[in-house]
Amino acid sequence: MWKLFWANLKMIFRNHQSLRWALMFPLIFTFIFGFFFGKNTNVGTIAVMNDSNTEIAAGVTKTLEGTNVFKIQKEDNLDTAKDEIKRGKISAVVYIPEGFGDPVPDSPKQIEIIYDPGSNQVSSSISGIINSYLTSVNFQIQNSKPIYGLALEPINDRKLNYFDFVLAGILGLALMNSSVIGIGVGMARYREDKILKRITTTPIKGLWFIIAEILSRLVVNLIQIALILAIGCFFFGAHIYGNIFVVFLVAMVGAVLFQLFGFVVASFSKTTDTAQGMATAITIPMMFLAGVFFPIDALPKWLYYIVQYLPLAPILRIIRGVTLEGLSPFFEPRNAIIILVWLIITLAISSWKFRLTDE
Amino acid sequence: MEKIITIKNLTKKYGELAAVNNISFEVFKGEIFGLLGENGAGKTTTLEMIEGLRQPTSGEIEVLGHDIKKDRDLVKEKIGVQLQSSAYYQFLTLTEILNLFGSFYNKKVDAMHLLEMVGLTSKAKSFVSKLSGGQKQRFSIVASLVNNPEVVFLDEPTTGLDPLARRHLWDLITQIKREGKTIILTTHYMEEAEILCDRVAIMEQGKILAMDDTHRLMNRAEYPYTVNFVKEDVKKSSIEKIQKFGKIENLFGKNNHFIVRLKDKESSNKALKIIEALEPETLTLGRASLEDLFIELTGKSIEE
Repeated sequence: MWKLFWANLKMIFRNHQSLRWALMFPLIFTFIFGFFFGKNTNVGTIAVMNDSNTEIAAGVTKTLEGTNVFKIQKEDNLDTAKDEIKRGKISAVVYIPEGFGDPVPDSPKQIEIIYDPGSNQVSSSISGIINSYLTSVNFQIQNSKPIYGLALEPINDRKLNYFDFVLAGILGLALMNSSVIGIGVGMARYREDKILKRITTTPIKGLWFIIAEILSRLVVNLIQIALILAIGCFFFGAHIYGNIFVVFLVAMVGAVLFQLFGFVVASFSKTTDTAQGMATAITIPMMFLAGVFFPIDALPKWLYYIVQYLPLAPILRIIRGVTLEGLSPFFEPRNAIIILVWLIITLAISSWKFRLTDE
Repeated sequence: MEKIITIKNLTKKYGELAAVNNISFEVFKGEIFGLLGENGAGKTTTLEMIEGLRQPTSGEIEVLGHDIKKDRDLVKEKIGVQLQSSAYYQFLTLTEILNLFGSFYNKKVDAMHLLEMVGLTSKAKSFVSKLSGGQKQRFSIVASLVNNPEVVFLDEPTTGLDPLARRHLWDLITQIKREGKTIILTTHYMEEAEILCDRVAIMEQGKILAMDDTHRLMNRAEYPYTVNFVKEDVKKSSIEKIQKFGKIENLFGKNNHFIVRLKDKESSNKALKIIEALEPETLTLGRASLEDLFIELTGKSIEE
């Protein structure tokens, strides 16, 4: 069996096309999401046009920069700035008129925010930030102290962002795609080429053949996970708070589950083409409904009620529980139970239906 | 003679259709046994039941003294199988495939020796996709020898090959036979069966129509003797004279090429005298081929 395992590995690594697919596809996702959401959570770029040289005016710019919420570019022509908004290059312009903050009676007293109505989230955060800055300046000038105030207390002090959320999703997605498609299509091709039949003419037990297949693909899965996590963490500063070995372990269980799905696909498809179609029919809906890219509790209640049981969903919940919150994989036993039930179902179907030969 | 394979009343039904219908035969040690017939005659199904790949509906199969139903795995250790049009792993070299298949039998394989047998040593490190049709087929046969089997099953080993590649394969099969292995093969080339097989069974629609030593089987033809000749403008009277002794016909529409089929030696001698008197351009004496017998038996040509 180990010889077969070894031969399988060789074949997987020599099959550049499908290896590229298995490794590059999730990495491309990691890079795309990393560039959009990794590291600093820029909501967008805004321009600051400061025509005043007072301390108060400089303070506005400083405060905006200090929030780290936006990327800020300096601008000295209002018309070009407005033009850039129209072209979608920036989402807002903060215009500080000449003489703003000068301690003379007729100096301008207002800062103007020109914004694209499509990104009013940006404009409201800018106005919030500037408002609170100006309020504190007002108090200072009037020499009084605020009476009422806000106390903000984040639930946990961990820095988490959307990229951390989606990285776990990409991990699950990669495992699912490469396993369901890899095994499903691979086995269907072996059947079409009569390789499976040829193997049954030899004394090797079908079970060993299948175990060798699963083990060799797990090696690929390990590489996938390591690459995704490495790139996510080192390039885009993703956060992992839980035990990384537990992440690997859970991911491996997930990989085995999806490989069993692959065997189910192979049991029901006579040709490589049907296997391809069936594998896609399983993976694509799950990609969107099991919480790879967005939390599924945002879905309508009735839909959420169904999709929370999709096999990928509990795997992602556990991985996120571990990576984002440092919880034990059994923090919600329900998840482990759903996975176990799916394992039993797929194992039952594939051992009942998957045959190396036609008879 | 030692019986290697014994088949008794073997039947395989798919629904109502009997793909193999109550056949019995034996294969003896060291011989090449041929199953002949058209596509769909039941040859492959028969073979695959003996190999343990398909379950018979009824009947008994004994291979090397083992009941295939009970000792399937034991039998698999001792037989070598070449499947009809089976591919091999895409991304393993020939050597690696042979070693891998050897490992399925827990045997160390001398891959180079095997490849040498089929003249593929130069391709030892190539993938199967780099082989020609004939080379693939030779590789497929040699892959069935990794466990040094006592019986080798070859399912249509030469189908689709050019004449030269086919001859190479015949040499290979003969070589395997010389090593003392028993070979059972299927083919739909009558000429091939005539040359290779010690014994032949002709199958049609799941039944065995005739089975015997190859040369004896050919003698069973109703017209075992043939005379071939080429002559322009043969007179009608001469044709009528020849017709008294046997059947005369034009060879596939060539009106100067005749074939005369004769029932016995005496009548063929008489017919020959008449033909020689015509002073034909060429004259060949021959005997009925397996194909002639096959056409007689099935009432149609195999090439149809």
